[in-house]
Amino acid sequence: MAIELVVVTPEGEALSETVQQVVLPGEAGEFGVLESHERFLTPLQLGPMEIIRDSGNEWAAITSGFAEVDGTRCVVLVDSCTLASAVDAGAVESAKAEADGQLSSLPDDEANAGERARLEGVVARAELELDVASR
Amino acid sequence: MANLRDIKRRIVSVQSTQKITSAMKMVAAAKLRRAQEAIENARPYATRMRSTLEEVSKGSLDEGHPLLDVHDERKSLELIVITSDRGLAGAFNSAVLKEADALLAEREGEFEKGGLTLLGKKAGEYFSRRRPSQINHSAPIDGDVDYPQAADVARELARRYASGDLDEVVLIFSEFVSTMTQKPVRAQLLPFTPPEAEEGAESEDVGGYEIEPDPEALLKALVPKAVEIEVFRALLENQAGEHAARMTAMEAATKNTEELIEKLTLEYNRARQAAITGELVEIVTGAQALE
Repeated sequence: MAIELVVVTPEGEALSETVQQVVLPGEAGEFGVLESHERFLTPLQLGPMEIIRDSGNEWAAITSGFAEVDGTRCVVLVDSCTLASAVDAGAVESAKAEADGQLSSLPDDEANAGERARLEGVVARAELELDVASR
Repeated sequence: MANLRDIKRRIVSVQSTQKITSAMKMVAAAKLRRAQEAIENARPYATRMRSTLEEVSKGSLDEGHPLLDVHDERKSLELIVITSDRGLAGAFNSAVLKEADALLAEREGEFEKGGLTLLGKKAGEYFSRRRPSQINHSAPIDGDVDYPQAADVARELARRYASGDLDEVVLIFSEFVSTMTQKPVRAQLLPFTPPEAEEGAESEDVGGYEIEPDPEALLKALVPKAVEIEVFRALLENQAGEHAARMTAMEAATKNTEELIEKLTLEYNRARQAAITGELVEIVTGAQALE
């Protein structure tokens, strides 16, 4: 019982390996993919991805994208994918602190909506990476 | 006749220029290889994105997406102009800037106002002198292109398009055709046109998927991503084109210094020979006078 997991980002293939099961953060809730899963396409949101192997589990932080599943393969297309082991906690903390600082000094009005959304995205992603790294 | 010392000095100065241009050529060649790899790396994502988008837009959609809607109003046009941060790359940047000027001239009458989003220092410098009031956003590329950089720009424009602030967004950048050729191209970014499935190219890879929760929700996730990847691709093409153009320009410059050095060396030798001949004539005449 195994499924091929392929994670593709715009900067290249992040992951390609055979795993037992993978749990993904779908927009409609978390879902697990096992071998012989029904063919389907679904959007994903920012969240943790759990990779389940015989040798143990590993977590990764993925940003929004979508997943394409069929019986033998699960292709995940996301903006970025960071394995828990690759999270540099110090760098993430300081990036988060910087974005937080900018966010609190930015006036909350229409003109800054785009910038606010961007900074909020940075903070959410940093929080997720830290969360994943601590699991 | 030029002084020997002057010629020697010029030869040395041209030689040091040659060292610089040939070093720049090698650096550009190495960076070009990296930039080409980045394009290759982005390809699988873009291809899959396209095939999925084809699959989704094939189905009947009750509701479209705000980024696909064509605005009836023709009020505001936004141009994204992508250049490099640095010069010394032949006509690479000026070709793009000329194209941008041409497009503005052509279409300015059609819209009430035209805005500029500039990526790369050269575009910023050029338009800050010519059309400072039209610049909405200007940022340097700053080292290697990464996806978040492209996504931020695309998201901001998508937000303004969806809110009705913009009616059309056009992208102008250099397409990397080959090491020798980079072509300035314009591409309409918004309203976004989903790729059409080619006739008979029914790929089994994407067919027959169950879409959850529904095609509309997936489209909502897909379209902004497809816009982002377009901007990302343009940045990558620009990056590869920049290094290719610089490599070609520096190769030509190195060849020119070689020719110049050869010419100057010949001149130097001729001048030296003339000086020797002059001295000999003096000695011989002197000796003859003593006889």
